[in-house]
Amino acid sequence: MRIDHPKAASPLPIKRVVFVLLAASVLSAAIYQALRAGDDLYLTASVFATRFLGIFIEAVPFLLLGSLTSGLIETFVKTDDILRFLPRSRLGAALGGTLLGLVFPVCECGVVPVTRRLFRKGLPLSMGVAFLLAAPFMNPIVFASTYIAFGFGGVLIGRALLTVLVAVIVATVIGSFADPREVLKPTSAKAGEEHSHHHHHHHPPGRPGLRAKLFSAMQIGADDFFEMGRFLILGSGLAALLQTFVPQDSLLALGSGPIMSVLFMQILAFLLSVCSTVDSFLALAFVNTFSTGAIISFLSFGPMVDIKSTLMFTGVFRRKIVLYLVLLPFVLNLLAGVLINVALGY
Amino acid sequence: MSAEHQHHSHIDQAAWAKSLILFGLGIYLAVLILTGNLANYINLRFAWLAYIGTALFFLLGLVNLYVCLNPRRAHSHHQISWDNLLIVAFPLLLALLIPSRSLGVEAVSGGIGLSPVGVERASALTRNPLDRNILDWLRVFNRAATPAAFNGQSVDVSGFVYREPSMGEDEFMVSRFTMSCCVADAYPIGMPVRSSATGEFTPGAWVRVRGEVFADLFQGEFAPIILADAIALIEEPAQPYLYP
Repeated sequence: MRIDHPKAASPLPIKRVVFVLLAASVLSAAIYQALRAGDDLYLTASVFATRFLGIFIEAVPFLLLGSLTSGLIETFVKTDDILRFLPRSRLGAALGGTLLGLVFPVCECGVVPVTRRLFRKGLPLSMGVAFLLAAPFMNPIVFASTYIAFGFGGVLIGRALLTVLVAVIVATVIGSFADPREVLKPTSAKAGEEHSHHHHHHHPPGRPGLRAKLFSAMQIGADDFFEMGRFLILGSGLAALLQTFVPQDSLLALGSGPIMSVLFMQILAFLLSVCSTVDSFLALAFVNTFSTGAIISFLSFGPMVDIKSTLMFTGVFRRKIVLYLVLLPFVLNLLAGVLINVALGY
Repeated sequence: MSAEHQHHSHIDQAAWAKSLILFGLGIYLAVLILTGNLANYINLRFAWLAYIGTALFFLLGLVNLYVCLNPRRAHSHHQISWDNLLIVAFPLLLALLIPSRSLGVEAVSGGIGLSPVGVERASALTRNPLDRNILDWLRVFNRAATPAAFNGQSVDVSGFVYREPSMGEDEFMVSRFTMSCCVADAYPIGMPVRSSATGEFTPGAWVRVRGEVFADLFQGEFAPIILADAIALIEEPAQPYLYP
């Protein structure tokens, strides 16, 4: 059996450090809260457990679907096929990337493993980044849930336009980095020719049958689930910690005015880390209290960036790029939300 | 040679651990569905997500188990480190160590909302007053032309007891968490209750409150206050949250 990833064979101590830090912070936060409120430590731990498991249970089916999609891409999509249909210009690639979500319907928990796989298959940077940001909205389930929640109108159209606009701008900026190696971690960058064909070594001579391909797609999917699942779990843990210790209504009090309401809703979207397929129903809860600009920015920004996807980004991109991927959408959506509010006369 | 041998045994162990975690997570989701505890975590409108999750965990678990038993079929260019396996097992450990509970009074940090959440539904207004839940009451109250519009109507709601030091001796709030998709967006709302018997009920206890609605100032704003005739301890309902 060949081992093609020597890097993966030696576990990085940083992961252990992150895990220990998370465990320690959970514990110390729980103890702090218990001492402060005079509460039973056990009760605080159980509130944290409920919040953490709730986010995890809602998100994990989507991560599984995304991981399986990634496995299917690895086994069924040839690198040459992707390269043949590529748009030439950076802008064209970015626009194409936003539409790629219709080909690979995934939400924000599933999009990261798929994007990573597509990068390894040689997808250009700007296209991949546009896909990463737009795909969680660009799929039939999210269209349907937004439509059910808001009907066909300003919110649905605004969400679609803003998502595409922000995705294209961010993708063009990040795509302007000349060398993908400055952007991607080594495990995500396109592998050499020899590597990209190495899977065939494992199969008996001749073309692998459909069943063998599906079988290996599921194995790759399971591996992707474990690799990306740790970021989902760390992110869910962080979101649950914040929710357990930062009262929601103390944030709600801040959310008035054309600028503050947008800012608040974006921070809320980041902290809550709710899946893009159901975030419309959540936004409904704020429709009476918040400006339209804030609702649209919430729906556009939330699927692009939140705590758990930020952690998943760190598994694909270099640290500086993760910063760009979080801050650029934040600022652009904020601007757009405020402009919408001003245009509507808030 | 021995290093290589060691490597293989590590792969085997990790592969077994992977199968164990995948099956464990699948069984965990299945148990939540079968016991009804799933309602503690997500809006049951999205229960189908948990069905898909269960099926996929078992599918991937079976594939991995097959690979464990037939190592030749392994696609082993990937190796998952033990730290990684431990992190993915974390939800299982948490679920095993801490019994499943819904968000209750301990999860309230920063007070109970008196305003309704979600879109207005006409159905709350046309519903028989006795059939309105806490969310319905706050909705109709918020829409009313004058706070006094519902004075004297009969009320019959259930929720958990919430108390603050600022409340009077004869007051508590009967409260529920609302939930749109999962506990991530859970938000507590409630109605004030006045009765000479309120002191008997400890915070967090589930109660059914019957009485009359009366609009009055409560902590500086008009609220539909329940003048209770009868307060009874009840079991926590199967669906502890209200779905807006």
